[in-house]
Formats: sequence, structure tokens, C-alpha cells
Amino acid sequence: MHGALQVAKTGLSAQDTNLKVISNNLANVSTVGFKKDRAVFEDLLYQIRRQPGADSAADSQLPSGLQLGSGVRTVSTQKNFNEGDLQITDQTFDVAINGKGFFQVVQPNGEIAYTRNGQFHLDGENRLVTAEGFLIEPAITLPAEVQNFTVSNDGIVTVITAASAPASQTLGQLELADFVNPQGLQAIGQNLFLETPASGAPTLAIPGEQSTGILKQGMLEGSNVNAVEELVNMITTQRAYEINSKVISTADQMLSFVTQQL
Amino acid sequence: MDKVLYVAMTGARENMLAQQTHANNLANVTTTGFKADLEQARAMRAFGDGYPSRVYSMSERPATDTTSGTLMETGRDLDVAINGSGWIAVQSGDGTERYTRGGEFQIDITNTLVTGSGLPVMGNGGAPIVLPEAEKVTIANDGTISVIPKGSPVNELVVVDQIKLVNPENGTLWKGDDGLMRTNNLTPLPADQLASLRAGYLETSNVNAVGELTSIISLSRQFEMQVKMMKTAEDMSSAATQVLRLA
Repeated sequence: MHGALQVAKTGLSAQDTNLKVISNNLANVSTVGFKKDRAVFEDLLYQIRRQPGADSAADSQLPSGLQLGSGVRTVSTQKNFNEGDLQITDQTFDVAINGKGFFQVVQPNGEIAYTRNGQFHLDGENRLVTAEGFLIEPAITLPAEVQNFTVSNDGIVTVITAASAPASQTLGQLELADFVNPQGLQAIGQNLFLETPASGAPTLAIPGEQSTGILKQGMLEGSNVNAVEELVNMITTQRAYEINSKVISTADQMLSFVTQQL
Repeated sequence: MDKVLYVAMTGARENMLAQQTHANNLANVTTTGFKADLEQARAMRAFGDGYPSRVYSMSERPATDTTSGTLMETGRDLDVAINGSGWIAVQSGDGTERYTRGGEFQIDITNTLVTGSGLPVMGNGGAPIVLPEAEKVTIANDGTISVIPKGSPVNELVVVDQIKLVNPENGTLWKGDDGLMRTNNLTPLPADQLASLRAGYLETSNVNAVGELTSIISLSRQFEMQVKMMKTAEDMSSAATQVLRLA
């Protein structure tokens, strides 16, 4: 009916998606280990109504033709893996990664997921688990009567128990997983990411080796969302949305004018 | 019936097509590196016998507005914006070279540097840029990509390739039906060493929202005038029928 209607509709739905991405970022402004998203837009195909260079008469050619764009689409969302600010929490079981890498988490279905959120807890069986209660990999089980729990920069977990004091006892070593293309990881919520063909297979490393970061006990990595930036994006999104809805109402007025007049 | 109806009809039809060009610009008001399409109308004469009054209208897209958008800071290593004039060369699906200003790069599964829509970015050697497994990727102002390879010390920067930037004369590039800029015969343009990039920035769309909205309003009024002409043609025709009616 009116091409502009369809085109403006793509604009509206793109801005709609954008707002959803922005609001999700803002909602997670204080989520530990959260990585912000960004919607990537692309113009849709152009339809050639009149080919440039086509004959306009026997001896003349159209110099420029008519190519009409058909709007915009959201190609993808890109996760920004910039590091968030490290916050000192002084909690024994808080561990932040200073640099690249992910902790490995065993989901209830046995699959391994990856996270940057190092808010660990102990479960009923004295095992180190995430805030969701999922076991971390490699599993760390604490003995009874722990007096002191330490995670070193390279991930070695040592404890001092009432029985062993003053000597310390090594329980294991945390490993970090790193990916060729972290942007390709699939976010599944709960601060967890899954491996995909685009992310590549994880390479496991001792923290601090093979370009992974070192671990910091008593610290957490804050969300990397910048609230001011998101608010500015929200303003442009809202205005772009309004403009596109204005195009729709103008096209509608044109069509209604036809039906009234003729 | 007077043929004015057909002249008015082309006016209205072409106004609607022109409207779509502006709607497309507005739909892409937040698309990174988007270049607004210009739109103009042309008079198409079709004179035959009798009074030469048949001048139809035709909308066309004479060119694309290539002025720069605003540079927007993102802080991401793989975001680049061109500072001033110039274009980034990318490889389209059919293997030929196309040009874009959208620098939302990412690294795909084959370690190739690709744009936000997945097209490989061309290096100065004329082949897509493939990066080694890297700890950190930096893009310099002239498009040189250096990486710290995985497991190397921080001071061992390795230069991998240079992003191919071109800067042809105005008017040699036009927008193809995939939205990317291309040359007429698709032969690759020579790289330009003077074009410069800014990493950590993106270029916004250069669509002027106010200008486009004004054009849309103006076109919508023009459209109403054409419809009014059709109405007048209809009135005249029915008046003639009225007068000539046999009693």
C-alpha cells in the first residue's frame, strides 16, 4: 500500500529491540560480573525500482535510477567483555578475576557453564558452590573446622583447620577457561555463559598463565554497565522511535486523505 | 476525460516512493555508519500531438550523502570509526570488494576480523584479515593491527596486517542493493595511506532527523495537492457529463 509504512515499522521494531537491550543493561547495573550488550543494526536490502543507466528515451539514459531502501534490522547483539570495576568486599569466599577468563560451573544437568561472578558459598556438604548453588569445577570440598580459607593469585586453595594448625592444607587449584572469541558465548542468564561454535572450545589454564587473569580473593567484579551512557542511549532510542511513529502517522494521513477525497 | 488525472497520478505515486526513501533514512537513524540517501524528482516529458502538457514526474536517488556522522566513544578495542574521509574495505558474499563506514568489528570462529554483519574486513594485501590467537588486539590510527599473541609477554607486540582504507574521489562510489558502497565495475580501489581511523569510537548515522521529517511533511502536502488535482479532474468530468446529459 504505502512503502513508507513498512519501512517505518522496521524502524519501530529495531528501536523497540534497542530499548529492551538498554533496559536489560540498566537492570543489571549492579549485578556482579554482568557484561553489557549492544544491539547492532544494519540497513536492509535495497530494491531497485529503476536501474541506473536504463534508457529513458531512445537516445538518453537515466543517470541515477531509483533504489529504495526497505528499512533496518537488528543483526545481532554484541556483548562487551570489558572488565568491570573491582570492588573490595572482604568476604572470604568472594573471588574476582583480574583479566581474562571464566570460572567453570557445573549446571544441574551436568553441562559446564562459564561465569565471571565469583560470589562463592558453601553448601550443606561443605562444597564450594555459586550463589545459585551450582558446583564449581574443579570441585573444592572443605574439611571440617576450617579456621582460615585462602585462594592464591594462581588459584591454589589452602585451608588451615583446627586439626592441622598452624600448618596449611592444600585442597586443589581453581582453573580458568578462556575463549578465542568470548563475544560468541551464549548468555543463558544467572550470570552464566555457554560455549558455542562461534566462541570456540575453552582452553583451560592456571590463573595468570596463557593470558588469563589472576584471582583476587575478597574482591568482586562489578557490572561493566555505565548508567550515564545507557541513559543517553535511551534518549536517542526514544526520539528515534517517535520519529518513526511520526512517519507512520504521516503515511496514514496521506492514505486517509485519498479515501476521503476520491 | 481529461488526461490530467494521469499526470496527477504519477505525481502522487512518485511522492509515495520518495516518502519511502525518507522513511528508510529515518528507520536507520541509529544504524552505525549509515549514509543517508538523497532523493530528487525529475520532469519526464511525453509530448505527442496537440498541446504539449504531458510532463510526468519521476523520483530518483541521485546519490548518497557521504558526510561524516558524529564520532561516538564506546571504549571497545574492536570498534573503529574513520576520522574524516575514507572507507573501510570489506569482502561481500560474492568475493568482491565493497566499502562501509560501520566499524563494529568482531572476531569470528575462524579468527577472521569481520564487521557487525559478518563480512570479512580486507587487509592491505587484498585478502581478509585473519588474526592469530591473541591476548589483546590494538588497532592504530592508520589501520595497523597489532596483537599480543597468546602467552607472550606484554611488550611483544606483533603487527599482523593493516586494514585497507580507501579514499576515492567524490562520486565514484554508490550504494548497492546490499546497502554497501561499491564502484561501478567492482575493481578494488587502491589503499590510501592518508585515511585515518580512531579505535574505540563508532560513527553514528549521518541522517538529519529534522531535515528528513520536514521533507516527509512537505512530500505529504504535495501528495495531498496531487490528490486534490485528481478530485478536480473528477469534478470537471462529472460536470461535463451533467451538462451534456440528454434530458
